[in-house]
Amino acid sequence: MRKVRVTIAVAAVAALAFSVFARAQDGPIMIGSSIPLTGGVATFGQHSRWGSELAIAEANAKGGVLGRKLEIDFQDNRCNPAEAVKSVTQMLAEKKYVAILDGLCSSVVLAIMPLVERAGVPLVVANASATSIAERSGVGGNKWTFKVNPTDASMLDALIGWLDKDGKANNIAFLGEDTDFGRAGSTGLENALKKRNLKLATVDFFQKGAPDFTPVFTKIKAKKPALLALYAVDADFQNAMRQWYSLGGGVPLTGRVLVDQVPKEIIDSGFLDGTTSVQPYDPSVDTPGNRAFVEAFKKLHNVPPILVSFEAYEATKVLIDAIRRAGTTNPAAVRDALATTKLPSMLGTTIEFDDHNLAHNNAIILTIKGGKVVIVGMSKT
Amino acid sequence: MDLSFYIQLLLNGVVIGVIYALVAMGLSLIFGVLEIVNFAHGEFYMLGAMLAYFLSMNVGLGYWPAVLVVTAVAVALGYVLYEALLGSLRGQSFERSILLTLGLSMVLQNGAVFLFTTTPRMMQTRYSYSNVIVGDVRVSVMRLFALGLGLLAFAALYLILYRTRVGRAMRGVAQNREAALMVGIDPRAVSRLAVAIGIGLSGLAGAALAPVYAVHPLMGFSFVFKAFAIIIIGGLGNISGAAIAAVALGILESVAGGFLPLVMADALAFIAMIAILLLRPQGLFGRGVRV
Amino acid sequence: MRGGWLRAFLVVLGVAALFAIPRVTGNEYVLALGVSFATFSVLSGGLNLVYGYTGLLSFAQVGFFGIGGYTAALLVTEQDWSLWAGAAAGGVLAALVGLVIGYSSLRLSRHAFAIVSLSFALLCLIVALEWVSLTRGAMGIPGLPVPTLSLPGGLRWRLGRPADFYYLLLGFAVVAHAVIYLVVTSRLGRAMRAIKLNEPLAQSQGVNPLSYKLLAIALSALLAGIVGGLFVFYLTIVDPSIFDFYYTETMLIMVIIGGPGSFWGVLGSSAVLSALPDLLRFTTDLRMVLYGAVLIAAMLLFPGGVGGWLQRRRLARWRRPGAVAP
Repeated sequence: MRKVRVTIAVAAVAALAFSVFARAQDGPIMIGSSIPLTGGVATFGQHSRWGSELAIAEANAKGGVLGRKLEIDFQDNRCNPAEAVKSVTQMLAEKKYVAILDGLCSSVVLAIMPLVERAGVPLVVANASATSIAERSGVGGNKWTFKVNPTDASMLDALIGWLDKDGKANNIAFLGEDTDFGRAGSTGLENALKKRNLKLATVDFFQKGAPDFTPVFTKIKAKKPALLALYAVDADFQNAMRQWYSLGGGVPLTGRVLVDQVPKEIIDSGFLDGTTSVQPYDPSVDTPGNRAFVEAFKKLHNVPPILVSFEAYEATKVLIDAIRRAGTTNPAAVRDALATTKLPSMLGTTIEFDDHNLAHNNAIILTIKGGKVVIVGMSKT
Repeated sequence: MDLSFYIQLLLNGVVIGVIYALVAMGLSLIFGVLEIVNFAHGEFYMLGAMLAYFLSMNVGLGYWPAVLVVTAVAVALGYVLYEALLGSLRGQSFERSILLTLGLSMVLQNGAVFLFTTTPRMMQTRYSYSNVIVGDVRVSVMRLFALGLGLLAFAALYLILYRTRVGRAMRGVAQNREAALMVGIDPRAVSRLAVAIGIGLSGLAGAALAPVYAVHPLMGFSFVFKAFAIIIIGGLGNISGAAIAAVALGILESVAGGFLPLVMADALAFIAMIAILLLRPQGLFGRGVRV
Repeated sequence: MRGGWLRAFLVVLGVAALFAIPRVTGNEYVLALGVSFATFSVLSGGLNLVYGYTGLLSFAQVGFFGIGGYTAALLVTEQDWSLWAGAAAGGVLAALVGLVIGYSSLRLSRHAFAIVSLSFALLCLIVALEWVSLTRGAMGIPGLPVPTLSLPGGLRWRLGRPADFYYLLLGFAVVAHAVIYLVVTSRLGRAMRAIKLNEPLAQSQGVNPLSYKLLAIALSALLAGIVGGLFVFYLTIVDPSIFDFYYTETMLIMVIIGGPGSFWGVLGSSAVLSALPDLLRFTTDLRMVLYGAVLIAAMLLFPGGVGGWLQRRRLARWRRPGAVAP
């Protein structure tokens, strides 16, 4: 009797050990993402999350990667470098993540770049706008950081080039939020204009969250610029649009106007006709890949994707593709695979990284004509 | 710069000033009667706006009924707030009241973010996009409504404070608490009413502005610090002083914003407050900062 | 007196254990928590000094923290100062600013000081965002270099690993707390407590309240400024988010829960509250709701915090008939 019991016990232990071992081999591939889930830019974090999750779900529906499913963990960084350092250090210490995604805010990305270098884990940046990220990556710098979204500087260069063709670039007023996004916008515009011996007519910044734009709009209108470059997002953008409308507008907008988030009534009325905007993405880009993406996104979340969702989606796809080509979840191998990425983007170009680990996707130039948003061109950044 | 530019700035300033006044007067009233600085005041403004949004977009209430409902709810909330939290403090400790209301503001603000997310919501009404145009000067109709509501609220508050017994009692307590107690005024009843009115004003301001600005859980944050500065500039506890300081600040910010960088306009409130504290600590209209 | 020696021994043991942690585990996350604990314990310790002991509610700590951070970052990157000197300069500047706002508003009342301290913290944020030529505005100053400290004895210590920053900040935290402890257990501390309990009475006993209040403010500002200067080098970036109001709320919670005026209580609560939030993995919103609720409950029911509760129990035991005096 005892022999039987012993045999059963040994068999049970062996089975348990085998299953644990087996599970360890077949467990999901873990990706870590650091985004602002709370705080002032939580809406963007939400969209980044949705974009990444959609990419992962699609990959899993096709059987996953390397025979395993993919899973993604999100940690909140509140767009605050101190929080990001703490949470990303924790993720890296767990040693189970193949790569880290996003960061979203430039100051966060800059703070975690040294961390990923030390830990030897790739960081794929989807959204942050600071040019210094690419400057510090790749050759002579941080070899583990890859930036998928184009720099603001290059997008604005494309926009100014477009405007200059029609001779409209010489009297642009600027109004932006006082964050790295807004400041990058003004610097980018100024640099692009300087190349053509032009400069901005006026430059104004507002505190994020300030509800009232009527004084500064009144001031800008009184100076009669030809164009107004507006760098506002979220609640500020909604407020600004409504107040701009109530003041009668009168100056076409430009810069990175979020044409997909202007209230329907305002666009339909033809009030914003003549606006020219540059964005890394627009939901109305007419490629099969993008149409499918927008459909799938809308079905899940009832709202169309914004550029943050798109950028997270494509960055995640780039990462998944790199893991597949690396053939292993060893972070160093994935890093090397990232460097040789040649993935078609939904914008019709191919995503490849230059020697500063920066991709040069198309920027989209949009205008509003007859109350409708029209894509007038795509420009390589 | 032509005249219409100045008039536009002035008009913008008056409208925003009246709204500041609604929020600041409530804060001043609560401080005057209870000696409590209500950190959560901005959150009641935000809740008023959110409730107005939901009433008009989900329940289909019109603008004016929504404002009435929100004001009534805010007044009731004020009563509850006093009974549940503020009443037991009894002007014991200034610091404790600040921390208590700070805690309340943390609960309300973060709770709202958790429940409603930070996505901004724009309230649509029939007049959302209509403007009144006189020559080159334009004002949106909704702002005029807000201005009208603000003036109405001023008038109502004036009537309550100067024409009713309980209003006189409130002014008495605000002027000199001990003396008021000695003549038999019931501090609890007066305090409860003061809090109810103060919160009611805040909610009213939120409902009035919901169609004008984007509605989101963090909208109260920027207002409340300005309101603090305003009540100090006007004179702590001086309600009409707060109103005048508010309108003056609104106009000053608007005019400054028309010529200087916008940030200067934003910082104006704090700079003016610090200047007042250094040069004329009892505020422009006095009553003085009580020790 | 035997109790005193025992307590001192336990403290030394505890500190030694903390310093030994990096030897025991290389887990970078534990080290990150340690850095966070060290930094926040200094900040809340300073706030405790000003609010808990002297009774002055102040929102200015985060402003001093950020001033220290920016000063150190700028002096090291632009003027080639050493980290010691940069952080020290940051602390001194913060202390001077603290004296100015303290003196100008305390002449009026504690209330004025509370509100001015709040506006000061907000103004710091605005200045950091706007004075772009000095602070680089919203972009902040990224890429702060790895500092090298010259130690007595000619040694040079390059702070290249997280463990190095752990030692540095923990070491400074020990020094800072020692200073605070010495102050609160001395005549200075007794005077501060007297001022908090009953200012007119203290005044009648010959204590000049203003100078003690200013001392508390200046000391807390000095410590906050220095720790800020060190902390930003750990992050390798300083940007306006260092003035985030969220830090002020966290510091206040640490002091309130630990017990205003309780040295060990606040130290303990800053340890728990540095580690707990991450362990619990609440989203920040819910955590702040919880903190707010705790704040409300504390103000209504137990304003003394944990430290105060322990103190009351000790006194109650002492008051029992037949008990021996402590």
